[in-house]
Amino acid sequence: MAKKPDLLPGTLDMLILKTLTRAPLHGYGIALSIKRISDEVLTVEEGSLYPALQRLLVQGWVKAEWKMTETNRRARFYTLTDAGRKQLGLEVSEFERMIAAIGRVLQDQQHGPQEA
Amino acid sequence: MTRLVRKLALLLRRDRFRSDLDEEMAFHRAEAEQSLIASGVAPRAARRVAKGQFGNQAKLREQSHEAVAFRLETVWQDCRYAIRQMLRAPGFTLSVGLTLALGIGANTAIFSVVHATLLRDLPYPDAGKVVRIEDLPLKGTSAEGLTGVPRVFDLQTRSKSFSSIGLMYLDTQTLTDGNRLPEQLEVAAVSAPFWRVLETKPLKGRVFDEREDHANSAPVAVLSFSAWQRLFGGDPGVVGRVVTINRQPTTLIGVMPPSFEMPAQTDLWRPAQLDPAQWSVYRGDGTRWANVFAKIKPGVTETAAAAELRSLASQLAVEHPQTDSDWQFRLIPLREFLHGTVKPALLVLFAASAVLLLIACLNVGNLMLARAVGRQHEVALRQALGASRARVMRQLLTEATMLSVLGGTLGCVAAFALVGFAGPILPSALRAPGGVAIDWPVAGFALAVSLITGALVAVAPAWGACRAGLNESLKSSGGRLTGSSGDSTRSYFIALQVGLSLVLLVSACLLAESLWNLTRTPLGFRPDHVLTFDLKLPWNSEPGSVSRFYDEVQRRIEALPGVTAVGTGVLPTSAINLRVSYDVDWRPRTEHKDAVSAQSVVVSGDYLRAMGVPLLAGRPVKPNELTVIVNQEFVRQYLPDRNPLGRHILFSGPQGGAEAREIVGITGNTRGIGGSLARPVQPELYVEALGYQVGRSFVVRSPLPPESLFPAIRDQVRQVDPQQAIGEPRTLDAMVQKSVAQPRLNMALLVSFAAIALALACVGIYGVVAYSVAQRRQEIGVRMALGASRGQISALFLERTLASAMIGLAAGCVAASLLTQLLRSQLYGVQPNDPMTFLIATLLLLAPVFAASLRPALKAASVDPMEALRTE
Repeated sequence: MAKKPDLLPGTLDMLILKTLTRAPLHGYGIALSIKRISDEVLTVEEGSLYPALQRLLVQGWVKAEWKMTETNRRARFYTLTDAGRKQLGLEVSEFERMIAAIGRVLQDQQHGPQEA
Repeated sequence: MTRLVRKLALLLRRDRFRSDLDEEMAFHRAEAEQSLIASGVAPRAARRVAKGQFGNQAKLREQSHEAVAFRLETVWQDCRYAIRQMLRAPGFTLSVGLTLALGIGANTAIFSVVHATLLRDLPYPDAGKVVRIEDLPLKGTSAEGLTGVPRVFDLQTRSKSFSSIGLMYLDTQTLTDGNRLPEQLEVAAVSAPFWRVLETKPLKGRVFDEREDHANSAPVAVLSFSAWQRLFGGDPGVVGRVVTINRQPTTLIGVMPPSFEMPAQTDLWRPAQLDPAQWSVYRGDGTRWANVFAKIKPGVTETAAAAELRSLASQLAVEHPQTDSDWQFRLIPLREFLHGTVKPALLVLFAASAVLLLIACLNVGNLMLARAVGRQHEVALRQALGASRARVMRQLLTEATMLSVLGGTLGCVAAFALVGFAGPILPSALRAPGGVAIDWPVAGFALAVSLITGALVAVAPAWGACRAGLNESLKSSGGRLTGSSGDSTRSYFIALQVGLSLVLLVSACLLAESLWNLTRTPLGFRPDHVLTFDLKLPWNSEPGSVSRFYDEVQRRIEALPGVTAVGTGVLPTSAINLRVSYDVDWRPRTEHKDAVSAQSVVVSGDYLRAMGVPLLAGRPVKPNELTVIVNQEFVRQYLPDRNPLGRHILFSGPQGGAEAREIVGITGNTRGIGGSLARPVQPELYVEALGYQVGRSFVVRSPLPPESLFPAIRDQVRQVDPQQAIGEPRTLDAMVQKSVAQPRLNMALLVSFAAIALALACVGIYGVVAYSVAQRRQEIGVRMALGASRGQISALFLERTLASAMIGLAAGCVAASLLTQLLRSQLYGVQPNDPMTFLIATLLLLAPVFAASLRPALKAASVDPMEALRTE
């Protein structure tokens, strides 16, 4: 079984928070949504999704409540809290800063590898 | 902060959390399954994929849980699991618990005594500054550090290192109070500064000061707590009461708290009332009866104080060359004085109990190891399910700690019962002020020992469990053909157990041998059928009346039916040590250098016959005759090649002149006159008692049971003088037994430690060999199939075990020969490295060890080769 590349460390929380900005979702919905929006590039392993959700709950960045789905099943819906929204902002700007930095490094053509 | 609250809330709703998570994941699986079916996958396959997507559910649940839970909670989980494991194997739990209980209990009990005597603060403020000043002769036998009264006065006036210097001497006095029977009291006569040295507040009333410590002040006394309870029933109005002590009306002015035992078993303290003007005149050894206690000034070190004492002693030696030149002051801390004599024995016992605990740990560790091997499957399964190695280690550690805490609790309970039972009957040197008890420090010690033990016994199985590869242990059924790597561990185990047990056995044998020597060496007297008791007239009684009193008592007891012989004299094992120097007529006289020095035994009546001391030559002393009797040792030292009978010893006469007394008889040597039975025999001189000997000990021999004579004797004494109390009636047998109580206790403890150690070692070795036989069944089968005889198989196992045991013995012998040096002061008539004792201990150890390894070795030979091979 070929292994898919892991998510960048620390980005899962951010993706979950971002996904929740549009509407409250249940765990399956979050996983599905991330997969769809990323054109199936990013798959969230269920094994990491639920521990991550517990972490966010404990931090107070999301709230959880049991509701009924359209298919009339009980599911646990997660909602973004204000603190979560703030945290998302922080994480996104931090992430963008890092991506930009990585991009600069990758596009660099003037400098060859330095001699040791 | 809010995060903590949220976590706490989750902790409280743990079950809710779990069911939420389960339901959530079930929902997730169901949705995934639905979408797969919708995309055309067969329902069955869809379910499998959906389930597979999640991976290891147990692991997932644990991770989610860890994200929210506390470390503490997993500890609690481990504890519950450990308890379940323990309940599932009650036999294992019980044997581990009991083994550890023995080790921890023994350690705790001994530690409670060590703590009470050697560690705990003495119950006096600033006790570290309190010292005893001892006066020691530069040569010759010690007078137990007692100081001459004039020298105490010199110290008080000249020294600058001490804030107070107090003196104390012991006396027995008679209490008469109303119409109760007269009673002998143990009295400590102390000077006023004594109270400032110890600085203990009385429980009731007050203590006395200088004004009441004058030669002619009205007598007062301070009661001890136990005397207050015993004599006055704890009467709260006792302070201010006037009682008659030694015929003098004495006011009771205070009661001391129960922890104040200076010295132990004192009934009351009264002022010494020694007047320097009167007591400074005579500087000879006649006043050498003061115990001196002092408190070092703040800011002065013990060394500085000791140095000052030395220079004071040399000053005095210059000023009084004839009397003071051969004496030197020494300073010892109060604790050393109170418990110094038991320190070596206690340390030996403490070390022995530690060795016992180590053996117990080894045994338990081995049991755990065997069990861990049995549980390899379980551990492997847990690892496969995602438990990390650290997690498994922690689990095993928790189990071991729980077991050792169980053992520790049992041990503590046992130690508590033991101390409660044995504490009050401990030999006096072990009795600490305030008593020996299981208090918080001791309980803390027990807990610490339990936890350390837990960690120790857990190391082996945890190491063993994690070393074993995961796949290997899941696959194999544990059958290995070659000698497993555990074998070397087991050899170490056997060698260590044997070595440690040998150390204990050798020590126990040495002590047993000493005690045997101590009680079996002829005493020189016959302790059976003898009753003894003390009488004491006030010290200022008129000599004529003293002689009349004792003559009359002697005559009346002689007349009692069933009495064979009566006399007064020194009782063996009582610490009355009177070493006196004399001039003699067969050696030249030199000023201040007496020719002979002998233990003076003041006797009257028929002492020798009552004691059963044989007269080897000559005749007994006739009444009112100024003659003496010497013992064999005296003859050996001072008259080896002449006939001693008819020679003379020069006593100082009543008018200062010399008075020659003829040697008329020679007795056999006796042990225990003037101290312990272990003391070497001294030259002795039996002299007749004179009128100034107010206190005398009676010895009454009778074929009747000695105790039965006592009521009649008491009646006779009362008829002679109704004011007199009889002190300490006891049999001579009991006195001798009491004097060996401490060595007997040491021996009993060490022997029981050694016996337990031996039993544990045998059980352990049996277990190890049996286990290795069970593990190597297939190997045995192969060997048999290849032609090994049953005898060879047994020999194989026996050889291996005994080889390890021999290594242990050799190491044990080396360790024992080093460690038994600590025992030297406790031994009598045997050397610490006595080869015979080592040989006996080795044989004592080898026999059961051989038996313990023989049984499983024989069992190995009974393995059916076909069956053993088939189970592969």
